[in-house]
Amino acid sequence: MNAASVIADARAFWAATRKEWRILRRYPGNLLSFIFWPIALPLAYVFQAQAFSGGRDDTMAAFMERTGTNEVAGFLFVGWATYMWLSIVLWGPGTALRTEQIRGSLEAIFLTPASRLVVLFGPAISQLVWAVWIFVVVGVALWIGFGVSIGPVEALRALTVIVVGVPALYAIGALFGAVVLRFGEVHALVQGVRGLFTAVCGMSFPIIVLPDWAQVVALSLPPTYLIADLRAVLLTGSGVGRILGDLAILAGMGAVLAVAAVVAFRRTELHARRGGRLAQY
Amino acid sequence: MPAIAIEAAGLTKDFEKGRRTVWQRLRRERDRRERFRAVDGVDLHVEAGEIFGILGPNGAGKTTTMRMLATLLEPTSGQATVLGHDLVTEARAIRRRLGAVLSGERSLYWKLTARENLEYFAALYHVPPAETKGRIAEILEIVHLTDRADDYVEKYSTGMRQRLVLARALLPAPSLLLLDEPTVGLDPQAARDLRERVVQLREEGRTVLLTTHYMEEADQLCDRIAIVDHGRIVALDTPAGLKRDLNATEVVRLELHGPERSDAALVARLESAGQVAQRTRENGTLHLTVHCQSARELVPLVIDAARAEDAELANIQVQPVSLEDVFISLTGRALRE
Repeated sequence: MNAASVIADARAFWAATRKEWRILRRYPGNLLSFIFWPIALPLAYVFQAQAFSGGRDDTMAAFMERTGTNEVAGFLFVGWATYMWLSIVLWGPGTALRTEQIRGSLEAIFLTPASRLVVLFGPAISQLVWAVWIFVVVGVALWIGFGVSIGPVEALRALTVIVVGVPALYAIGALFGAVVLRFGEVHALVQGVRGLFTAVCGMSFPIIVLPDWAQVVALSLPPTYLIADLRAVLLTGSGVGRILGDLAILAGMGAVLAVAAVVAFRRTELHARRGGRLAQY
Repeated sequence: MPAIAIEAAGLTKDFEKGRRTVWQRLRRERDRRERFRAVDGVDLHVEAGEIFGILGPNGAGKTTTMRMLATLLEPTSGQATVLGHDLVTEARAIRRRLGAVLSGERSLYWKLTARENLEYFAALYHVPPAETKGRIAEILEIVHLTDRADDYVEKYSTGMRQRLVLARALLPAPSLLLLDEPTVGLDPQAARDLRERVVQLREEGRTVLLTTHYMEEADQLCDRIAIVDHGRIVALDTPAGLKRDLNATEVVRLELHGPERSDAALVARLESAGQVAQRTRENGTLHLTVHCQSARELVPLVIDAARAEDAELANIQVQPVSLEDVFISLTGRALRE
């Protein structure tokens, strides 16, 4: 592959992102759902936490001891915002392929010389816009509803964490893409993995409350680090330097998962080309 | 462009019938699925600049052959070069210079305009940005969609969508175009329009490989035709050459009412003046298709034979030989059976 080809693929990648964004824009109703859910879902957990704690000082102290912050709403809102973003990313590449398959356009794309990564990640990148939107909605809701303000420095630190976490999450998404090419359907698997992440990665609780074995599982999953580090920089005032160890692990996981995803995707594409599964859905 | 656009030898594709469950895979049970051969040792030699047709009934292996040549399917065995590149090891190089219409109107983005669809695919085909706008305008003009270029595709008719699919295939300025049943589902006017475009493409020096099960389309468009049946090429020649090989100039189709026991004798009498290519009996009527050099000589014989065998001539049609007749003589079946 020469430089010209890489540049041409980069343009194709941008075109895929822009195409998907154009289609998304033509269904404006989606925007409303992305205002409602980032507020409604964590809010329910905030009320639940208030009910369980009774608002007593000793329960708040216990929460502070375990989480490093006394911002219960902030803790839950950041956790669930990350979960929603995670869901988009996990669905992203697999769904992009599946959607192209159902639309009947996957073969038309595979007839072009563009890299397969274009179709896998181009449309998924457009969904990052929704991720940004979710975090903006959450930030505004925290500020207005709970007086938790997130300044530009904290936001920048959070962005750093997100950028480091993106390869690992998108690699997991690409593995789902490989599953789509192999089996044609990925819904059940994504639900299962999302369930696992919800159960052990600490969306609505610190993982320290988990049994030891579950903590080991949690620490082997990229979202655990992502959520913990986002909370650290947004709610406890941690600088990036204090979470460098976590970020290194996250980056390492991203590298390993990316290699696994590329190998899996190539193998399943070859399988699809042998069995004629590209057009089947 | 190489003088030979496509060279294939022994191209074969096997598929598995049925499915193997995850449970069977986990238990490492023996794969009991049956294999069937969709394409069986096809040899092709398509010259640059010709319109080459693959004619055959549904399920004959036309589309599978096309999908292999388009690099979407890997052959089970055999070898092929497309535009001088190996089909398996140089697939990406082939895709850079290949245009294909394989899956029809469903493969477009209906919530985008025609221009937006083409912009997207121009990027996927690595069309240089400086050329993209001009090339899209030129192609829209070729397919007569300029005035509707900024409408959503969902508002297009089937014929317009098919023209847009052809426009997309023209984006890489391909030296070879693969068109799989390009006129299926189109109204007669749209189909005629598309056929005219195909002829223009040849005049521009492009090679076109098309599949069809419309014999008139193949006859009208193709410089050479391969007739396929059950995954094999059963004849390959120019349309005129294929008809010439039939050793007949006219086809006489007969319907006769009479006792079934006299069918064989009737056929035997007609064989003296022609070749009975097809014989079926339905609801007491004997249907015969007879290939002959002169219907003028055959018809009196038919009347005499019917009278002699106690049959009544209910209908008679005389037509010039068509590719359908060639197919019947080669396979014993009609194209649409």
